Amino acid sequence: MVIDIFIISAAIVGFYVAWNIGANDAANSMATSYGSRALTLKQIIILASVLEFCGAAFFGKRVTHTVAKGIVPIELLDHHLVVFGALAALLSAGLWITIATYYHLPISTTHSIVGAMLGFGLAAVSQNHLSLGQIKWDVLAKVVLSWIVSPLMGAAIAFVVFMLIRVILLNRYASGSVEHVFRYLQVLTASYMAFAHGSNDVANATGPIAAIMGYSGEVPFWVLFFGGIGIAIGIATWGYRVIETVGKQITELTYTRGFSAEFATATTVLAASSLGMPISTTHTLVGSVIGVGFAGGLASVNLKIVQKIIFSWIVTLPVAAAMTISLYTLMVVFA
Amino acid sequence: MKFFRSVGEVFGYSPFRSLAQHARMCGRAVGLLQHQFEALRLENYGEVEELRDEIDELEHHADQIKEEIRGNVTKSLMLPVDRHDLLEFLKVQDDIINNCEHVGHMVTFRRVKVPHDVWDEFSVLLSKLMEIVNHYEEMVESIRQLIDTSFSKREVERVMEYIPVIEQLEHECDLIQIGLHTRLFNLEEANPLDIQLMVTWVAHLGYVANAAARASDRFRIMILGR
Repeated sequence: MVIDIFIISAAIVGFYVAWNIGANDAANSMATSYGSRALTLKQIIILASVLEFCGAAFFGKRVTHTVAKGIVPIELLDHHLVVFGALAALLSAGLWITIATYYHLPISTTHSIVGAMLGFGLAAVSQNHLSLGQIKWDVLAKVVLSWIVSPLMGAAIAFVVFMLIRVILLNRYASGSVEHVFRYLQVLTASYMAFAHGSNDVANATGPIAAIMGYSGEVPFWVLFFGGIGIAIGIATWGYRVIETVGKQITELTYTRGFSAEFATATTVLAASSLGMPISTTHTLVGSVIGVGFAGGLASVNLKIVQKIIFSWIVTLPVAAAMTISLYTLMVVFA
Repeated sequence: MKFFRSVGEVFGYSPFRSLAQHARMCGRAVGLLQHQFEALRLENYGEVEELRDEIDELEHHADQIKEEIRGNVTKSLMLPVDRHDLLEFLKVQDDIINNCEHVGHMVTFRRVKVPHDVWDEFSVLLSKLMEIVNHYEEMVESIRQLIDTSFSKREVERVMEYIPVIEQLEHECDLIQIGLHTRLFNLEEANPLDIQLMVTWVAHLGYVANAAARASDRFRIMILGR
């Protein structure tokens, strides 16, 4: 059974993508807590692994649905083609994430997988299995819009939260005692963040896997479980190094600032998850940090990163799509 | 470590620690000048020259910090204060240590012979300068608290209290300078070249005090002009 080999490959690549999400994206989200020293590295790894897993397993359904069949109407395609397409999408996303990570580009796993699934859809169109109109452009447009809205929303919430902390607390009480209280509150937001991140980003791995498993309407629990485990292993085996490295770069983030940024990011990401929108947690976090900066909370914010993010955004979609089209075509021709 | 993506880049270069370090160096330079004048009084000319070199080195290091700040505070950074205000403040602060360096050199130009009470007056002037830069340093160091409280009204008010004190001390410094000038021009026995040189010292020590007062004014503009 040739198709079984493809399914096994998809499971392996899917696991790699989940692992990478844990190793890099989850780690970046958690690094804010390490940078402010609200938690020790060990505590963060345990907390992040458990809550990322919970978020993924219990709240990852909607976004997985969007990635699996929200953009490409897989129910209209032959199952073989779906296996090829979803595997090609996973492979290209995995490859692109690896290349971009190597060059330290602030790319998003989410953008990669959405671009890749779109590539799969376009490849199916080019072979006349689908018509161009059957690709769900309206959903894609909503997803792209959510990518623009989410960092802005993160920034707005973080701005308001930090402004409130500033006006109500920092103006009245000694900054030392305010920070002390937020040290404990930041444990809560860190957990909130890990849960939210798991609920959204797991779909980048589980979406294509669900499609391959002949997804009809309900995401099988074990698929989410599998994704959640992959993320948790990613945090434990590589993420801790990323947390350490990134944490050292963000020592500017005190407890109050970390709280504001994390609360804003987690709220935005969780809202996106419940709407089924696959968004980039990292980009939302960057938006939130900038929001804290606008509220006068940071010594220095590097706005150049916005350009870099927009650039990597524009590159990721076509690259991931093109890679998927090539891989899919190869599979169709040779299998 | 190659395989990682980072949000860390969103945190830009922060010039505030370096600004405070630069201010501390200005304070140290005045301290060295004070030692230099003590050595002059004791006619320890070897030590005077050593101290000149030490001040030189300190000034050079301060220049490097200044360049570092100027090179890194780019337009794409979002700082809690205006970028131009910050750079202008730094420029004036740098005048403090520059003038220290000038004086450090000028005292080695020639071995002057003057009565002891003139040295006493110099010592008073140097103590006053030290007092100014001590306040000045403390003021600039509190920028850390300003940022931590994100410029809470209370903290801003507390820091602003340094400025009238520094201005008052600078005024007292002026009076000491006037007294010293009067004394120097009435040294009937002294060599006119000695007098000429010492008058220049007094004037440049005045510039040090002046730079500290002007820098604290630029500091106020920077903090209040957010």
